[in-house]
Amino acid sequence: MEAVLYPVNDFGPLMKGLAIGGLGIFHVFTAHFAIGGGMLLCYFQWLAMTGRSQPARVFMDGYFRYLVLISFVTGALTGVGMWFTSIQVSPVTIGLMIDEFHWLWAVEWTFFCLEVVAGYAAFKYGHLLTDRARLTLLALYSFAAWMSLFWINGILSFQLTPGAWLESRSIWDAFFNPTFLPSLLYRTIAALVVASLVAMVLINMAPAFNREQREELVRRAAWLMAPMALMPALGVWFVAAMPPDSREWIMGGSIAMTLMMNIAVGASAVVGVYALVGLLRNKLYVNGATATVLCLLAFAATAGGEFVREGVRKPYTMRELLYSNSIRPDQVAALRERGLSEVDPFPLRNEDELPKYGEKPHPLLRTGGLVFREQCSVCHTLGGVNSLPGLTKGWDSDMKRQNFAKLQKLKPFMPPFAGTPNELESLVQYVEWIDQGRPETWPEPADSRVHAERLVRIRHWLDEAGTQPALVRSGPTAKGGR
Amino acid sequence: MDTPFPFGLPLPTAFYLTVYVVTLVIHVVFMNYVLAGTGYLAVAYLRTGGRHLSESAKVIKEWTPLMLSGAITAGVAPLLFVQILYKQGYYTANLLLFNRWMAILPVLIIGFYALYLLKSGWLNRRANWVASAVALLPILSVAFTGYSWTENHLLSVRDPEFWGTFYSTRSQVYTEPQLLPRLLVWASGSIPTLALILAWQHWYRGDGQPAKLARLAVSGLLLAAASAAAYYSVTDDRTRMAFVAPLAAPYFVAASAGLILQAFGWGWIYWSARLDIKRLFVSTAGLLLTVVGMTVCREAVRIAALGPERFESLFPIHAEAFSKSGFFIFLAFFALNAGLIGFVLWLVRHRRRPPEAGDDASVTTE
Repeated sequence: MEAVLYPVNDFGPLMKGLAIGGLGIFHVFTAHFAIGGGMLLCYFQWLAMTGRSQPARVFMDGYFRYLVLISFVTGALTGVGMWFTSIQVSPVTIGLMIDEFHWLWAVEWTFFCLEVVAGYAAFKYGHLLTDRARLTLLALYSFAAWMSLFWINGILSFQLTPGAWLESRSIWDAFFNPTFLPSLLYRTIAALVVASLVAMVLINMAPAFNREQREELVRRAAWLMAPMALMPALGVWFVAAMPPDSREWIMGGSIAMTLMMNIAVGASAVVGVYALVGLLRNKLYVNGATATVLCLLAFAATAGGEFVREGVRKPYTMRELLYSNSIRPDQVAALRERGLSEVDPFPLRNEDELPKYGEKPHPLLRTGGLVFREQCSVCHTLGGVNSLPGLTKGWDSDMKRQNFAKLQKLKPFMPPFAGTPNELESLVQYVEWIDQGRPETWPEPADSRVHAERLVRIRHWLDEAGTQPALVRSGPTAKGGR
Repeated sequence: MDTPFPFGLPLPTAFYLTVYVVTLVIHVVFMNYVLAGTGYLAVAYLRTGGRHLSESAKVIKEWTPLMLSGAITAGVAPLLFVQILYKQGYYTANLLLFNRWMAILPVLIIGFYALYLLKSGWLNRRANWVASAVALLPILSVAFTGYSWTENHLLSVRDPEFWGTFYSTRSQVYTEPQLLPRLLVWASGSIPTLALILAWQHWYRGDGQPAKLARLAVSGLLLAAASAAAYYSVTDDRTRMAFVAPLAAPYFVAASAGLILQAFGWGWIYWSARLDIKRLFVSTAGLLLTVVGMTVCREAVRIAALGPERFESLFPIHAEAFSKSGFFIFLAFFALNAGLIGFVLWLVRHRRRPPEAGDDASVTTE
């Protein structure tokens, strides 16, 4: 299949992953609040209508207002924003996902519709309805919100563990993949925790309650955090279902992944211990400041978890189907012969800054710039986070040539280089030009004999590395669909 | 493409185009209410500072946040299908416009919160100019979003060579002569939609001023006609021909007939000074004809802009997507959730508790 090339934007010193990660974390947190908030409202409605809690009814109205203002506005728009951001970062990935799962996304949309209608109906008219009717509306809202999680969870977890789909190409094998269930259950508990913690912040903010009422409401809300006791087991289940190489990244193989994993686990552990021991066992009260700190810890846990979820797929965005740089594994061999830079319809934007060779931009640097854009820029910058010149500082030219050629052997979370020897040589020159402060002049391309010898060496290294990724395959192979 | 839409196209393409048009029509109805409604509110606040709003303005103020939620939610489905139908062009336009395009998200969030702020007691205690300034934010944010969509759409149908040139300029602003008139056709066409939904809302409540609503609707129709004339004058022959070519001609006729029907319906309401079902149905039928007809014409114009070769090159992509399973599960959940939405509306209408002393019968306001 021919590669479709899209224009690539420069995010400056920011990694593109940070853009989608930042928005994603925020969206996930608000979405979890929407899902858990619905469940909390159901519980409080039941407490109120059965006479078990007198202040529950008053609290619900205030809580619902925040739920609407945060989830229905920011949550909904950041959800759409996730699509737009995904397009900015990797249009090929989102395009493939849409092709494969568009009907499941459409199913999710039907639940969005139910969620909005039931949620607004409960909010606007709930106080005019019978208790039973209000509870029914809240239950429908919660059901719809949770079902939207159900559907999107299957689509997202597929990216890491496509499982039997690689052989069968069945959408249900894709959806009910190995990490589907642990991920769904873990997120459901996370949603309950977020809703409960937000409730504790709001209980302390509401002037309508006295201390006794606050204590009662906090105690009630804390029960939603009881399932946190299951989180360690679910976490272990999820990790066990991950591909072995991805598991290695979080177990020390990648320092960034390990660090983020530890943040997620550590923050969850602090919240969990506080909830289970402090709030539920010892029946402690939580004040507004502590509740806010716990909320921030929950946010940190979400951030760490989402970072890991995005990161452990490396070198893929869709495991065994598409590398992070939007090149398919089955395209690598052909690209080693033809290259991409010759067919890229989008010019190099900083072409004017390049040293001239004759009247034209330096050909190797121009090609190198295009190769960087096509193959590296999705994860690396030229002078900011994860900068390529920074990462290769200290390597001499031959080290760069060999390491780029054997990229997947050097770092197993990197995809194989997918270009011709000349493109690789151009990338080496471009990185060195950047590293040396973009000088106005640059040595002319070496004479044809030296250049040809370099290309022969690079070809040899490329052949030694092969076109396959370095990762250890866990499940069925992907040969069927290639 | 020598037969009316969607006949004559390969099944997968016809199918996705039809689903796209149907879901887009639903989105457009909500969008029109929000676009014209926020404009209406802005004018009302500028005139009175929000102190003496008309009944219609109060209804709009109460319902616009929900309608914006509806517009966003209903917009998800056409956004999904446009990615299947025109993936490369749509993604490329998104990428070329980059930050300018992505700006619609924070801008919409600001507009959305401003709508809630209009309903708050806090704003009532502020000076008139503060309330008027807040009331301007929603229309500005919605108008900016509409402008950006039109810009994105027009860029997405340009040829790939132009994309390369545009990319090299680093510009994040795209314009062409038809952009503004095209946007105005949609914007002024949103006014009759608002007037009609508002009329139904007043009919349900048993209040409203029929003559005022009719004047609002007819002014929208006249503005839409004037914008359409301006659009006609600045577009090229290919675009003009798209309206009368076999693919869209019946829909163009239907849209025009819808305009006449709407005008008749509103005239009937104006002269009788009554909002009753019979008269409202006439205007509703006219509006539906116009919205559906114009939405199909919009696609026909896009297809004409792409040209037969480029459009036909998309057919295999549509066929590939069509081979993916899940459609029947979608249908099943669509039916289930449509039923549950109906059940929600039934509950709200029929499961009210008896009023108690001290009850506030009004709906909750945020």
